[in-house]
Amino acid sequence: MTLARPLATKLFPIATALAAALVLAGCTPSGTTSDASSDPGSPVTGGNLVYASGDAEPSCLDPHVGGNYPQALVASQYLETLYTKDAEGKLIPWLAADSTVSDDGLTRTVSIRDGITFTDGTALDAAAVKANFEHLLDPKTASSTGYLALGKIASMKAVDASTLELKLKTPDNSLLESFSMPWVAIESPTALKRTQEENCAAPVGTGPFKVQSWKKQYSVQMVRNADYVLPVAGAAHAGPAYLDSITWRFIPEAATRYAALQAGEVDIIDNAQPDAIATAVKTSTIKHLDAPRPGASNRIELNSSKAPFNDEKVREAFIHAVNINASVDSLFFGSAKRSYSPLSSVEPLAYSEESLFNYDPTKAGTLLDAAGWSERDAQGYRVKNGVRLSLTFPVSTSQSIPAEQSLFEQIQATAKESGIEVQINLLDISSWYGELFTNSYNLVSAPYTKVGPGVLSILFHSDSTIPAPSGYFANLSQVKDPALDALLNTAGSTKDEAQRKDLYTQAQKKVLEGYYLLPLYDQQNHFLYSEKLKNVGATTAVASPIFFDTWLAN
Amino acid sequence: MSDFAKIQSSPSGVAGTSHGTRSAARWLLSKIMGGIFVLWAVFTAIFFGLRMIPGDPAQAIMGGPGSQASAEALAAAREQYGLDQPLYVQYFAQLWRLVQGDLGTSYSLKSPVVEVLAELLPPTLILAGLALLVAWAMALVLAVLSTRSGAVGVALGSGLEIISAAVPHFWLASVLIMLFSTMLGWLPPVSTNTPAGLVLPIITLALPLAGFMGQVMRDSMAEAQRSAFALSARARGESETGVLLRHSLRHGALGGIALSGWALGSLLSGAVVVESIFARPGLGRSLLSAVTARDIPLVTGVALFSAAAYVLIMAFSDLAERLVDPRIGRS
Repeated sequence: MTLARPLATKLFPIATALAAALVLAGCTPSGTTSDASSDPGSPVTGGNLVYASGDAEPSCLDPHVGGNYPQALVASQYLETLYTKDAEGKLIPWLAADSTVSDDGLTRTVSIRDGITFTDGTALDAAAVKANFEHLLDPKTASSTGYLALGKIASMKAVDASTLELKLKTPDNSLLESFSMPWVAIESPTALKRTQEENCAAPVGTGPFKVQSWKKQYSVQMVRNADYVLPVAGAAHAGPAYLDSITWRFIPEAATRYAALQAGEVDIIDNAQPDAIATAVKTSTIKHLDAPRPGASNRIELNSSKAPFNDEKVREAFIHAVNINASVDSLFFGSAKRSYSPLSSVEPLAYSEESLFNYDPTKAGTLLDAAGWSERDAQGYRVKNGVRLSLTFPVSTSQSIPAEQSLFEQIQATAKESGIEVQINLLDISSWYGELFTNSYNLVSAPYTKVGPGVLSILFHSDSTIPAPSGYFANLSQVKDPALDALLNTAGSTKDEAQRKDLYTQAQKKVLEGYYLLPLYDQQNHFLYSEKLKNVGATTAVASPIFFDTWLAN
Repeated sequence: MSDFAKIQSSPSGVAGTSHGTRSAARWLLSKIMGGIFVLWAVFTAIFFGLRMIPGDPAQAIMGGPGSQASAEALAAAREQYGLDQPLYVQYFAQLWRLVQGDLGTSYSLKSPVVEVLAELLPPTLILAGLALLVAWAMALVLAVLSTRSGAVGVALGSGLEIISAAVPHFWLASVLIMLFSTMLGWLPPVSTNTPAGLVLPIITLALPLAGFMGQVMRDSMAEAQRSAFALSARARGESETGVLLRHSLRHGALGGIALSGWALGSLLSGAVVVESIFARPGLGRSLLSAVTARDIPLVTGVALFSAAAYVLIMAFSDLAERLVDPRIGRS
């Protein structure tokens, strides 16, 4: 029966394409596009919002445990964070009132807001936050994302009810950004004392909704927190949420998810695919929310640790040999914008350098000739010392959507014109990790979501080339540059905001100009929702939607 | 016991009963031993098969893709699930637990595999059972109608059956959703708990199966129609429809019954696709997500359960055939 998976994986895209073709053929709207900026009217209280998620169902609803994006999406409804980002991308306090850091950068004091209670009646105070950090740092919790975010904390102390003092191992100017991620959300310390199984089933937070029940493989049911008092700064209203409840369903098939939205079975879907978005934006009944994730852009990393990409000329040649822009436009139907930066466009410190990434096969040819890849074999591929210029490109079918896989095929086709062979291997996630661990790749694309430019250290510091015991290392281009390390170290610890910006810009210039990566576009995060749903758009710092201000029109 | 010994030990009809009991006991024993062997083979194949695929199960336990587990957390997970032990130790430890009826704890769902199976089995059985009934009905109607309407009907029916039997589930599901949900708006595209939500998944599973069963049924019916008893029935003045419904239909149905064991197996594998597309909880969908998440205990549990179900169904259909047709097992 295990054979069913690769078969289904191969054939789902075909079925999806067929389904899309049928939709396009049969259901073209009659050209009535509504004005998106129209007044949503006056809010209506009540109703149940049905959310359909295409992500894998989390194994635990507490994002402290493990810590992936699907957990962040659902937890954003019932858990809140110490810090968050406003609509302009500025970091602002939420459950925290304020924070200061000592001159040496080694003591961080966080003051906690008064008068907030968790939905189980426990009061939020400094001791509660301390209990959360201890929970995250306890290996038994098995936190990965949250654990990494708090890695610089050496010790902590609740000085009084509203003051938490953190001693750091080394200065960390991205700590507040880390506090804004749902993986470091604050939960009731009373609830955390339960068994992990109980806490995973129904974590207790301060959010506008609370978990009522979880029917595995089907849905998570959440109800309004009637005592909610703390909307984030910039929210459209005060008091409890408008919606009575939220049903969080898991519908893995993209075509089914979109059909369910069209049929009115669900009100909002995530992981909307480019073809569905292109169809939906032409209708008046379905609206589109584009919320790129923070952290790194989606990019292809060029493995510089081994031939042929240990030669910078070959890296540069590859980047000029592939034609990306036309393919991105056509395959994503205009829903993805080309990136020229290692960072997401929502990161204020993102630095772009478009001029490095032009399509120029002539230049690619000159560079390859100069690097010694001047002969050609019978198939037209370049050869040096009897070895073909061939690149292995393992692709994770669960991380790269069908449109992205098609883009990689376009890259393969244009690289061939310059005599470069690209071997794409479509793999399931574990086999894909396996290729990474054994350094069996020349090209790879891996997403990385994190708030703030600190993600650059994770992706490009030489420390990140040392595999963890699991074999995982985040520096997949395997750049090892002492000058870059020094830049990243200082950028991550300085208290001077202007210097931080300058150093992170220099670091980005270095990796771009060294041709270690080929930026593609932001990490795509598209939602489609029924026009009956009003005031959708507020998100957390990691771009997961919050439905506090949202209401269902009758 | 050899046939010679059997003959010697049963000189009279009375002794034949004890011979029959012993024969039945031997049959039962061979079925049980065969079943145990199949289960052991499935367990062993899955155990080593899943470990030959690159990737770290501890990583899967820690939330899998997108989460970067720390060394400490991975070590804790390895210890908790015994993954730090040598492979052969893990194998025998798991085998021993299995013998005691313990299927372990699912990595991804964090609950005992037995509980997961108990929870997910009913929705899959309801889906598969109803699909089997619908397939039966469709196959019978198609077989009777096409046989009645002569050569053209047979050709037409046969063509329809071949097409429906060849249609892959995922394609059929997508087309049905487009047609009945998106365009006509009659039925929900996702499987809800209402009867309407079950219609599309059932049709998706039943249609290809009906194609297979219809073929077999009509062949058996056509054979019966040509047989001596059909001829004598016609000679008694029975109408052609009467012969078909009263006599040949039974033979057609027998052909279908023989296929039902295989059918249930194909329904279980079809459930993997159908439950995923229609977002319906069940055994098939959990197998798909378990394989993706490298959830070794859950994959093993579902596979063992399916193997056990298959062994049981085959034993029952074997038994049913022996009861219906006494010639089987005597020879």
